[in-house]
Amino acid sequence: MPNVPLEMIWWVLGLPLIGFLLQAFLGKKIIDTLGHRYGKKIVGTMAVLPIAAAFLLGIGITANLAQFPPGERNVVLTLFSWIEIMSIKIPFEVVVDPLSMTMVLIITGIGSLIHLYATGYMGDEKDYSRFFTYLNLFIACMLILVLGNNLALLFIGWEGVGVCSYLLIGFWFKDLNNSRAANKAFIVNRIGDVGLTLGMFILVLMMAGNAERLGLTDGRWLSYDVLLPNMVEVFKDQPFLTATVALLLFVGACGKSAQFPLYLWLPDAMAGPTPVSALIHAATMVTAGVFLLNRMSVLFELSPFASAIIAIIGAFTALFAALIAFGQTDIKKVLAYSTVSQLGFMFIACGAGAYWAGMFHVTTHAFFKALLFLGAGAVIYAMAHEQDMRKYGNLLKYLPITGACMLVAWVAISGLAVPFLFGFAGFYSKETILGGALAGQHAIAGGINLGMIAGWVGLLVAMLTAFYMTRMTWMTFFGKQERWRLADGPSHDHGDSHHADHEAHDENAHHAHEDHGPDVHGFFYTEAEMARRAELEEHDHHHDIEPTHEPKEVGPAMWIPLAVLGVLSVIGGWFLYSGDRFKKWLYPNGLTVLPPEVVPKYPEWETLLMFLSIGAALAGVLLGWHFYKKGLPEREGWDLAKWHPFRRAAANQFHYDQKMVDGSLKGGAQLGEMLNRTDKGFIDGMVNGIAWLTGLFGNLLKRFQTGNVRWYAAMMLLGGIGVLGYLWWVALKLGGA
Amino acid sequence: MNLDQFKVAPPSVDWITLLPVILVASTGLVALLIEMFRPKQTNVAIIWTSLIGLGVAAGSLILQMGQPSGDTFAGMALRDPASLVLQLVLVGVCFFTFFFSESYLRERRIPFGEFYPLALWSTAGGMIMVSTENLLMLFIGLEVLSISLYVMAGMARQESKSEESAIKYFLLGAFASAFLLYGIALVYGATGSLHLDQIARAYALNDGLTEKLLIFGVGFMLVGLGFKAALVPFHQWAPDVYQGAPTNVTGFMAAAAKVAAIGALYRVLSGAVDLSGTWMPLLIIIAILTMTIPNLIACQQKNVKRILGYSSIANAGYILVGLLAHLQSPDKIGIETTVFFLVSYALVTIGMFALLTLNARDGKEGTELSDFYGLWNRHPLAAGLMVLFVASLIGIPITGGFFAKLGIFNDAVNAGLTLLAIVLAINSAISCYYYLGIVRAAFVAEETRPQPLGSTMPPGLRFTGIACAVGVLGISFFLTPIQAYLSGKDPNAWTNPPATASTGPSENLSSSTTNPSPDPDPDQDPALTNPGEAPPDQPPADQPPVAEPDEQSPQESSGEAAGESEGTGPAANPAPSR
Repeated sequence: MPNVPLEMIWWVLGLPLIGFLLQAFLGKKIIDTLGHRYGKKIVGTMAVLPIAAAFLLGIGITANLAQFPPGERNVVLTLFSWIEIMSIKIPFEVVVDPLSMTMVLIITGIGSLIHLYATGYMGDEKDYSRFFTYLNLFIACMLILVLGNNLALLFIGWEGVGVCSYLLIGFWFKDLNNSRAANKAFIVNRIGDVGLTLGMFILVLMMAGNAERLGLTDGRWLSYDVLLPNMVEVFKDQPFLTATVALLLFVGACGKSAQFPLYLWLPDAMAGPTPVSALIHAATMVTAGVFLLNRMSVLFELSPFASAIIAIIGAFTALFAALIAFGQTDIKKVLAYSTVSQLGFMFIACGAGAYWAGMFHVTTHAFFKALLFLGAGAVIYAMAHEQDMRKYGNLLKYLPITGACMLVAWVAISGLAVPFLFGFAGFYSKETILGGALAGQHAIAGGINLGMIAGWVGLLVAMLTAFYMTRMTWMTFFGKQERWRLADGPSHDHGDSHHADHEAHDENAHHAHEDHGPDVHGFFYTEAEMARRAELEEHDHHHDIEPTHEPKEVGPAMWIPLAVLGVLSVIGGWFLYSGDRFKKWLYPNGLTVLPPEVVPKYPEWETLLMFLSIGAALAGVLLGWHFYKKGLPEREGWDLAKWHPFRRAAANQFHYDQKMVDGSLKGGAQLGEMLNRTDKGFIDGMVNGIAWLTGLFGNLLKRFQTGNVRWYAAMMLLGGIGVLGYLWWVALKLGGA
Repeated sequence: MNLDQFKVAPPSVDWITLLPVILVASTGLVALLIEMFRPKQTNVAIIWTSLIGLGVAAGSLILQMGQPSGDTFAGMALRDPASLVLQLVLVGVCFFTFFFSESYLRERRIPFGEFYPLALWSTAGGMIMVSTENLLMLFIGLEVLSISLYVMAGMARQESKSEESAIKYFLLGAFASAFLLYGIALVYGATGSLHLDQIARAYALNDGLTEKLLIFGVGFMLVGLGFKAALVPFHQWAPDVYQGAPTNVTGFMAAAAKVAAIGALYRVLSGAVDLSGTWMPLLIIIAILTMTIPNLIACQQKNVKRILGYSSIANAGYILVGLLAHLQSPDKIGIETTVFFLVSYALVTIGMFALLTLNARDGKEGTELSDFYGLWNRHPLAAGLMVLFVASLIGIPITGGFFAKLGIFNDAVNAGLTLLAIVLAINSAISCYYYLGIVRAAFVAEETRPQPLGSTMPPGLRFTGIACAVGVLGISFFLTPIQAYLSGKDPNAWTNPPATASTGPSENLSSSTTNPSPDPDPDQDPALTNPGEAPPDQPPADQPPVAEPDEQSPQESSGEAAGESEGTGPAANPAPSR
């Protein structure tokens, strides 16, 4: 293995940035000059290469880092001093340690596969280079987020990722649903950011307040290597404050990692827009919250209460999203909710104190969820942009490679395994999470072991996961019906229950090419704007899939990433788990404050747990197989009226989303009205008064500016006399005579 | 006859100190020669010669930055950090003015190549002003600066406005020069010397007549320099002249004349700092007036050049606040913030006026606010840059203007001039109104003129705009080195950032690792590049670590030590073993 010096990390950070600049400034020109065919090839290569190179460098650096003695795998590199205000110093510095390098490998590795795939998927796109501009910038921001050695840099990456995600979700901005989803993602993420920033402020205050006592003279209070080791001292005997800061940071993590109160944006963000951007969110961006929890693990370990809350919210999110997934017919929505659900698992792990298990699941999840999204994208691509599973069926026959890879991913996410021998990726990470949660004694709030409850819920959700993933797989790839050839399709007249549902909840598109519902809230766009957008979109509108459509296997640019991820999904988990490789890699980071007995390795559970979790997975798969082996069940067809009430509710996210949006909009409107009244009466009056006064003085003073040079000279003379007269007075006073 | 009294030892001459001024002035001569023989169509040769000359002058300035301070030519020329930086700013202003001038002069149909030599000489005059403590030199520098400016202001001969502004400027300038000269004469009478450091000596004599002479001498000089710096109530020429002069000249005037005048004011007031009890209250009043009055008037203006004229007066007020804060407590508060403000102000001014020249076409130029309608559609880049410059003028964070204003505000508070700080803050708020008016105009969609202006942006102009924008954004990175250099805390700060500052921005990819060994070599085997021996209490790799909460484990402590020098690291820091 070539010995890549750690300083090369700047190139890992810089290459995507260079790629971004190249795309932004040259991409369009290249395509315009060389024509679409060759231009796009060059632009695509230019987009993939920096990320791939960064990945290779990342491997080299990781290998180098792995040769360090375990206690010293923590290297801080400083580029320049960035902010110095009063005594606070925030340098532009990165940290190379196992956690950051793990994230770097996931981001650049999965990221380069996504880029490669996107060169194929976005092949027909007019704004080819714009897409890759955003993608490269996204990767760059994500790398800043994970590599930065202080919370300020993390925040920069955090917000940068937020902006890129807004741009990517709204990439086809002419489609109203996409723009709306982009807005929603942005707004919901802001709520989380408020928590993150507040948490950061309190941290700075606490560090500044204790700096003298702890002898922290160099002012880098937000840097991890200063902040984390002192956390115990700073937050000693402050349980309330600790929990406050921890929960505030968790609110931030909730926003970015789509946990329960704030998960709203993720499914919307993934349903309409480009599958590729959906995927980059699923595999990379949403892990930011888990990363934050891992990075700040000391703080959360100090607060069992906050940890318990995190675990139980994670468990609830996992369950809630899994239930919703049963009501979805859009293949990507199923995957979106599955992502939310899997993120819940990661939060269970972090809440229970088994942080490494959370990161482990981040890693394996990146493998199989990327595979699922890429596979779904390939299916959608092959099916002429049809996303509704009710139009699929028997696709394995037409898409053998994609289908095979998707089956691998299905097995992996379900967590199937052969006892004692071998398991697919999802099995190991899920088992470690459940084991950590069930045996843990950390996440206890008010005497209730919420961590353990979360573990049992997690086991149930594991079963549900296998169930709905089997549903998706069977509806898509198996069964004799090739349903796009059948006559019964979505009814486009807006008179039936479909419409009623649609009206109630327009974001929840049943059909990928949903017509614009009225913007019931009147919040995002005015009517005129909607009409204009609708008109614009007419030109780009995809047509419905033809009954005579023959699905064709996708090209190599798209299936090569699938195959790579397929292999990883099969052996990745086993490789990282055997011999506790992953755990030893992430630990020790020298920071854990939990005594080892709090998060035991569940020895007495081990065998039982393995059977429990394999059993849950098997049960789920069998249930799914039982219900969907005959193809699309009657009661999940096009007529929503025939659906089971539960499933109908699930399709609508149990009305949670709608109530949240309605409630916040109504509340916001009332608040705004109130503020408006105050504003008009009091503040406007004051402001206008000041403006009036300013204007009055200005007008008066303007009179003196006559343009007459004699007048100016006279004024100067007067001024001079004033100056000298004053000095005369001073001199008189001084001289005394 | 005793001839011995004429046998004065020749003064020691350090030509290097004078080199920049000589270079700029002689570049002006060469440029004039080229102008005489030039092919009639183009000024390209003049411009390139001038740019090269300015570049060499800038280089000679930068090379001097490590040199010790001191004066030469019998105290007539001075080299100290402030003079070097201000000279560099003047050279830079001239440099960037030349970049966008040619396209503008061509559009305005002002076919005079003399502009370039005149601007060069004017720059040389300004450079003399900021690098001397000799009053006669100061006066000569001021006149060289001013006379060139008078001519340049009247360069657009076909336009009565330009002529009028030149005459106005000249008449009032002569008036002000008289004040200055009279003040110099009084000071000479009191001290018997033209050197500013003699003021303090003479004042210390505590002689009643000398005292009065000095007080009035400084007062007269204040009037003269106040005119150049456009302080209220000696400001009234500024808006008229700014509006009438060709736009590139206005930009040059606003930046260079202001820097030079403030530099000179700094020298004079520093020399007269012992008298500060007499003039400080006066200047505080002047500062308040200078900040407030132009801001109020500017709100009523519709002409962009005029608005910027008033803005430049107000900025002179802000700078004066910084200067007064320094003079109020010279030991505690340095001149750095003022110089930093000047740098950022010069960048923004040149950039802003460069953008204004976009509206020149076919001998005409529109400078009303309404002429800028639709700029966003015509020149998105220019409109974007305009937003940035205006943001810096207002003082919105991350632009240079923010840090500059913040620094001055801070200084004023620290010096106990709280009243000035408050007035400064209020005026910053007022100024938002007219500054944002400019931005608003750029983003109004419809064009008012029947024939739309062209949409090409001359490359020189584009370069100037982008360079100034990069400067305005990037200057915050140089805040620390500039301050360190000017305050003399570390004379090498400019060229060699100290190791403790965790590498300056000039070295892009350098890094300081946690490695406590003195010379980290990235190519070495990691076993060697890192502290080889782990301390014995290091937890083994395969166990979940149980870190003692009270003690820092070694890697964090070494990480913490990254920013510090070795000796101050915590005790847990493992000794480097190689």
